[in-house]
Amino acid sequence: MTHLALTNVSKVFGDFTAVNNFNLDVQKGEFVSFLGPSGCGKTTTLRMIAGFEIPSMGKITIDGADITNKAPSQRNVGMVFQSYALFPNMTVAQNIGFGLRVRKEKESEIKERVAEMLAIINLEKKADSYPYQLSGGQMQRVALARALAIRPQVLLLDEPLSALDAKIRVSLRAEIRSIQQKLGITAIYVTHDQEEALSLSDRIVVMNMGEMEQVGTPFEIYNFPTTVFSANFVGTLNNASAEVVDPASGFISIDGVQFESAVDLTERKPGDKVRVAIRPERLSFASEQKKANVVDATIENITFLGSVVRIRVKIGSTKFNMDTFNNPFLELPKIGAVEQVTCSREAVLVLDE
Amino acid sequence: MASEKIRKVVAMNLLARIRRIPFWSWIWFILGALYFLLPLYATANFSLRMERDVIGFKAYIRAFEDPEFLKTFMYSNMLALMTILASIVLIVPTAYWIRLRLPEARRVVEFITLLPFVVPAIILVFGLIRIYSSPLVIPFTNIKLLQPLTTFEVGTDILIVAGYMVLGLPYMYRSVDTGMRTVDVRTLTEAAQSLGAGWFTIIVKVILPNIRAALLSGALLTFAIVVGEVTLASFLGVPAFGPYLFLLGQHRAYEPAALSFASFLLTWVAMGLIQLFTGGQGEVSGAH
Repeated sequence: MTHLALTNVSKVFGDFTAVNNFNLDVQKGEFVSFLGPSGCGKTTTLRMIAGFEIPSMGKITIDGADITNKAPSQRNVGMVFQSYALFPNMTVAQNIGFGLRVRKEKESEIKERVAEMLAIINLEKKADSYPYQLSGGQMQRVALARALAIRPQVLLLDEPLSALDAKIRVSLRAEIRSIQQKLGITAIYVTHDQEEALSLSDRIVVMNMGEMEQVGTPFEIYNFPTTVFSANFVGTLNNASAEVVDPASGFISIDGVQFESAVDLTERKPGDKVRVAIRPERLSFASEQKKANVVDATIENITFLGSVVRIRVKIGSTKFNMDTFNNPFLELPKIGAVEQVTCSREAVLVLDE
Repeated sequence: MASEKIRKVVAMNLLARIRRIPFWSWIWFILGALYFLLPLYATANFSLRMERDVIGFKAYIRAFEDPEFLKTFMYSNMLALMTILASIVLIVPTAYWIRLRLPEARRVVEFITLLPFVVPAIILVFGLIRIYSSPLVIPFTNIKLLQPLTTFEVGTDILIVAGYMVLGLPYMYRSVDTGMRTVDVRTLTEAAQSLGAGWFTIIVKVILPNIRAALLSGALLTFAIVVGEVTLASFLGVPAFGPYLFLLGQHRAYEPAALSFASFLLTWVAMGLIQLFTGGQGEVSGAH
């Protein structure tokens, strides 16, 4: 059964439509990320689930109960904020126990729950510290524990790692995922960081200008983007205008260079304009002639990116990026050389222009 | 041994820093200090010379012995306390709501809070007397809801506290508003709401404790205004400390000087308290 459902939800601020006709069913224990650039409506959608914004249209339910117009304090939804939002006048233990005290739970139960939460976030020794005595990562763990202490039906996380440095971000996101899985809690995570969304989520909702672009697993979103925006926003992408040559056999032409795609093109006609997308890591130097999509490419530039080497090549008149894993024995071509480059039929994605 | 070394280094750093201040800065600083300290010294000196050729505390003793002093001082303190409490009840939720939901109203409210600087207290008190010296009647009927407030003691106290709230408004509102600016009121409110807290809990347990230094400075400024205020108290005919000091100054020479100096000391203690409390909170809000 659907745990959290957003049905035809829209939010309008004056003349500006922040979220337009948003539909999503989330299962219990699922981790769903809203991914998109600033101003795409992801935070507004999250705030509507939290109750900080009331939808202009549509319905939000949790376990079938309509919460669309309920006050935030009546929703039993936990929220973790980007800026931590710990109460500066309270200790770590008091912060975690705040929601339980508001609910007038027994003091003994509060103490027990706070200890349990402190153990989960590994901050037992910081129980009596004030927020200003903690690091950013510790503060965000306390904020997470505080949100979880009330046993919320849904946990909402609004870019919780944005204010942290890169290393802590990676370790904390693993911690968030592990705690979420351990407690089996439904989580909605807002981020503009594709790596975070891909590594954490069961499903990702890619959003753009208030609309849902694509909903799918990280694997689907990365490998089979259905829109140009999705393809461009998630991961690095080569994309070029192309023309359908032979819909039955999947042949298309990019500036006269022919590629074969595994995408079903039977509904298109020869001469139809399409957009072709190929991930840089799906391109490689051709080792044997028999492979599909073997084309001549001129090497234009080579950039070291640590674990990856990015090679800029020109195929026909179109420039492509090609990624290859770095290793000490890698033999790189010379700039200006013409090499044969290939990719599989499946790597050639065809999207609407 | 190590602490001795640290102390020496700190002292040397302080000396080096003092030496770096330009000569003319020192001159202006000394002139400013003299401008402030000389009258104070003169008042203190005068207050200690009640007896010929003897320096002593006779003026202070006589001033404090006067039963009217204690009576009026306690009464003004009570009025100050009431004014502070009523101001907090009125201003904290107002400033909070403006910051949270009505940011567009801030300019209007700030203008209103500045009016007491433009409209003199004499206008305010005449307005209060004019309106509240007649009974409160339901419009178009003869049904009296309330006796004229100026005709009974509690009524007059209510009027004077309301008047003092107006006089203290610029200080209290600005202090509270500044205090709220230093904490992320909106996010803290949303965090508390998501944890199930209602408005009362949020204001009492989250907002107030985090703006306590601002509240204290607003409260102390209000206190200073109320305790020395003369116009409202005189025209409303209440036995307050301000009019008492004024009358005393007309009939005696040394006692008013003694009381003035004592009130200076009181103000300094108050400022010390502000420093103490603000310092404490600075640490807390600094973490945010």
